[in-house]
Amino acid sequence: MSSPALVRHPEDSMPATAIAEAGSAPAATPPAAPPSFGTLALRWYRLNRAGLRAITIGVTSLIAFLLVWHLLTTYRVVFFVRFTNVPSPLAVYASFTKAMHDPKFLMHILLSCRRIFIGFSLAAIIGVPLGLIMGRFKLVHEIIFPVAEVLRPIPAIAWVPMAIMLWPTNEQSIVFITFLGSFFPILVNTLHGMSLVDPVLVRAAQCLGARERSIFREVYFPASLPHIFTGLTVGMGVAWVSLIAAEMISGQYGIGYFTWEAYSLVQYADIALGMIAIGVLGLGSSLLIRGAGQLVMPWRST
Amino acid sequence: MSEMLANTSKGHIEVRNFSLAYETIEGPVQAVTDTQIHVKPGEFVSIVGPSGCGKSTLLNAVAGFLKPTTGIVTVDGERVNGPSAERGMVFQQYSLFPWKTVRENVEFGLKMRGMPRSQRERAARTLLGLAGLEAFEKHYPEKLSGGMKQRVGIVRALATGPKVLLLDEPFGALDAQTRVIMQQILTNMWQRLKISVLFVTHDIDEAIFLSDRVYCMTARPGSIKAEIPIPLERPRQQSMMMSSEFLALRRGLMSLIREESLKAMGGEINDMGMQGLNIELHGHSLADVI
Repeated sequence: MSSPALVRHPEDSMPATAIAEAGSAPAATPPAAPPSFGTLALRWYRLNRAGLRAITIGVTSLIAFLLVWHLLTTYRVVFFVRFTNVPSPLAVYASFTKAMHDPKFLMHILLSCRRIFIGFSLAAIIGVPLGLIMGRFKLVHEIIFPVAEVLRPIPAIAWVPMAIMLWPTNEQSIVFITFLGSFFPILVNTLHGMSLVDPVLVRAAQCLGARERSIFREVYFPASLPHIFTGLTVGMGVAWVSLIAAEMISGQYGIGYFTWEAYSLVQYADIALGMIAIGVLGLGSSLLIRGAGQLVMPWRST
Repeated sequence: MSEMLANTSKGHIEVRNFSLAYETIEGPVQAVTDTQIHVKPGEFVSIVGPSGCGKSTLLNAVAGFLKPTTGIVTVDGERVNGPSAERGMVFQQYSLFPWKTVRENVEFGLKMRGMPRSQRERAARTLLGLAGLEAFEKHYPEKLSGGMKQRVGIVRALATGPKVLLLDEPFGALDAQTRVIMQQILTNMWQRLKISVLFVTHDIDEAIFLSDRVYCMTARPGSIKAEIPIPLERPRQQSMMMSSEFLALRRGLMSLIREESLKAMGGEINDMGMQGLNIELHGHSLADVI
């Protein structure tokens, strides 16, 4: 009766009852007296202090930015830089609400997104497998790498005249420019990822009976994924840069064309609107890639 | 499960007239020379030696990663021609696949063999249960402690039912307490599965505690300096490490290795240092000479 196991038993059963209580009444978590709302709020605050701080400061600095912009434009400050013709935030907001009801503006945005989607997807579909194969097979690397190294430093914008000559339609040449912009970052990062694959993991796979194909699929590819996603993120950024430049030079539609046209038509508020739209689209697309990365690499999320 | 994996009469490793040289610009460098070792079916054999003596090279040749320059490596009479699932390997750096969960890591060898998913899941669970890891089957390796990682590494290597298990300083990165526990776990698994083990370590206590036989290697170019049978009875307890029998074995091995370590270091230290070390070797202290 007095064995230690029996003596300890009541203690062991305590957490079980606590869990049962918590299950039936989630509001009262601790088994002791339920803490007051004030204590809970204080605890929540202490646990989330860092996050709250970042949000507060972030929002404040955004407001400050808008305020400075507002003041600079309403007083038409000229101090090295001329704010005489720069639209105020309120003017931009007004043109934003107008644009939201304008199917033409939405069409510009949709067209740009389509070009990005096609150009970037092609770059990923070609760049990632090519990088993987180049990383695995020395001969392919030796053949393709010198060509890639010569073409890589040429900015996508410099390709505009050549692209117009190469492709029958304007649309195709713009997609081509977008493709080129994202292709090299994707290829180079995939290659880099392949070069960093831990050889011990390859050995481990071989010892477990894996053949070449399986090693490629089960080791090289997943091991390179973090770098592939770095390449995709960088590639997406460069894709937007290249797209906007191409649209400004040779486009008829698209958000880059919209921004340039606004300047030609002296619609100053639309310039800022176009710029902000480009920023939001760029941010959105890189968030999409990050989300995809977290889905594909669950082992890396903490 | 254990009956399925047991290999009572297989796993005879034979290394004969083995030597291995690396090509460098100054000509070939001999890493291992004129070496013969063998492991009988179900035997636990360790290789110890000073660092850089080529004990890992020898193990990698048995695994099939390195081709001998001369000589031959066979397992059950068959020549080793490359890595295979017949020879399970455990690495010092754990080398678990970070993108696979604990269970997927253990399943890997079975998957490579084409075993259907449900069947290999069941097999992996059983094995993880034996190692006390069933609660962690869905975790990614990064979340595990070093000892747990290496337990997964051992279980993964055993999952395909290999003829022999090769371990390359598997507990070298673990702290002293974990190391002792891991040694016990490895001994238990080895006894249950009756598998041949070739174990490389620089830890003399570990080698004696675990092994039936210990090979001691010379400094580079490595060859077998001595072969020491360990007659300690099994099952072995931690307390045996204090027995006079154990300590005698330890002293013997220790002096063998120290001689080789000094030889290995000889080229690197100056005459003064060499003198000091020689003096120590002959049982005098530096103060005696001064």
